[in-house]
Amino acid sequence: MARAAVVGAGMTTFGVHDTPLQELFAAAALEALDDAGVETTDVEALYFGNAMGGQAENDTHLGPTAASHVGLAGIPVQRYEDACATSANAFKNAVQAVDAGIHDVVLVGGVERCTPETGKDTAAMTRIFASAAHRQYEQPAGLTFPGVFALLTKRHMHEYGTTEEQLAHVAVKNHGNGALNPRAHFGRETSVEAVLDGPVVADPFRLMDCCPFSDGASAVVVVADDLADSHDAPVDVAGVGHATGVVPIADKATPHVTKPARDAAAAAYEQAGAGADAMDFAEVHDCFTGAEVLASEALGLVEDGQGGVAAADGRTARDGDVPINPSGGLKAKGHPIGATGTAQIVELAEHLRGEAGERQIADAERAVAHNLGGDAATTVVSVMEARP
Amino acid sequence: MTEGLTHDEWTAALRDGRLLGATCRDCGATVGAPTAACPHCGARSLELVDLPTRGAVYTETTIEVPPAGVEERGYQVAVVDLGDARVTGRLDDEAVAIGDDVVLAGFLEDDQGNPAPRFEAV
Repeated sequence: MARAAVVGAGMTTFGVHDTPLQELFAAAALEALDDAGVETTDVEALYFGNAMGGQAENDTHLGPTAASHVGLAGIPVQRYEDACATSANAFKNAVQAVDAGIHDVVLVGGVERCTPETGKDTAAMTRIFASAAHRQYEQPAGLTFPGVFALLTKRHMHEYGTTEEQLAHVAVKNHGNGALNPRAHFGRETSVEAVLDGPVVADPFRLMDCCPFSDGASAVVVVADDLADSHDAPVDVAGVGHATGVVPIADKATPHVTKPARDAAAAAYEQAGAGADAMDFAEVHDCFTGAEVLASEALGLVEDGQGGVAAADGRTARDGDVPINPSGGLKAKGHPIGATGTAQIVELAEHLRGEAGERQIADAERAVAHNLGGDAATTVVSVMEARP
Repeated sequence: MTEGLTHDEWTAALRDGRLLGATCRDCGATVGAPTAACPHCGARSLELVDLPTRGAVYTETTIEVPPAGVEERGYQVAVVDLGDARVTGRLDDEAVAIGDDVVLAGFLEDDQGNPAPRFEAV
């Protein structure tokens, strides 16, 4: 039996939006409700994600604002902040509430603006992103988020011989996938040479190893298992795992193994009764190319140390044996922080319904989503299945 | 009374040229950042220890795009392995690599007065 089902999905294009947060959220939320055939009066609770509206736009207490804007004032609304894992945590709590019988029909989604439309330039937004690193023991050293994942990735390169060229292959693959995704921030292909020719942000990452600052929103409608069949094209939520790890990086036993991802994946796979081998594709949190390499190993999709090799060999391409990020990933699709987690769920749902268009993974029946926050100290892993 | 290592204690030590850590009396793990309990096993019985000030670079990166409030660019941040624990800090010398030996060489402060260790190549 599924824990819950996703019966509606919606998202905006990821890119640049000169739109208030509640309007951006509404575009995704109303699309999800329409897709589900659910009226606002049917929705019993809103699980809402926004990571940094307070810092970026002086906009907080967004839950009731967003709910009011889409006609949901009155119901309980909870707002989540877990850095880049914000809306995956909202999704987990929504699934738990439905699974426990507390609610039957809930809306889950997230919204964020990170581009200069917020009035914040690269330096200012880099500082806001860095607020997810430890305030006293990491930020004073000048650590940034490209820097956080550079620290993890360089140790992986040291341990396993992962190369900058292999990292570039991750970017090239995801840009290729993004070129087929009409909602992606970056809709054009690139080459290994172009990636390796870019300016360094935090070595080993060059500009094209890094996801962009994006604006956007995403939302899904989650219903109880026994209500799913009354909707068109339900997709089952088979498992959701959520784990945290030690902060700061220096105190993690082995930072590059991203233990929370392994713990969350083990829980999600156990709930689903299916392991990594049974996943037809994955959406993983490739905020930087190195992060995809670490995630592909932590989820058990490839052997430890083989993440870079697998990318360079084409194993993680859409026609490879372990397709990763057919959406284009954060790298090409874009990364509006609080919208990313549920956007992965949207992508899974579209493939499992067979509605992903040119980028469709053929005959996909089961898939996994991996959304991390901070230095991976929060990770949520979700397994979804086409309803038999 | 709370045992453990506070930011005030750690900061005072760093300004005095020392790196304070905490060793868990239950599982034996040592951590380099202040904490009220062992992050590895949860035990609250911690012993404050002076960490070695010399160690080897565990991982590092050179940051070319700094956050607002940091005026320089092209600075190196490292996690330094001091034996029982690791500590994050700034590297003063250019092009220090993983495995290179470094030693504590003072501290820098952010715009709110929070210090971070500085290390230099041995």
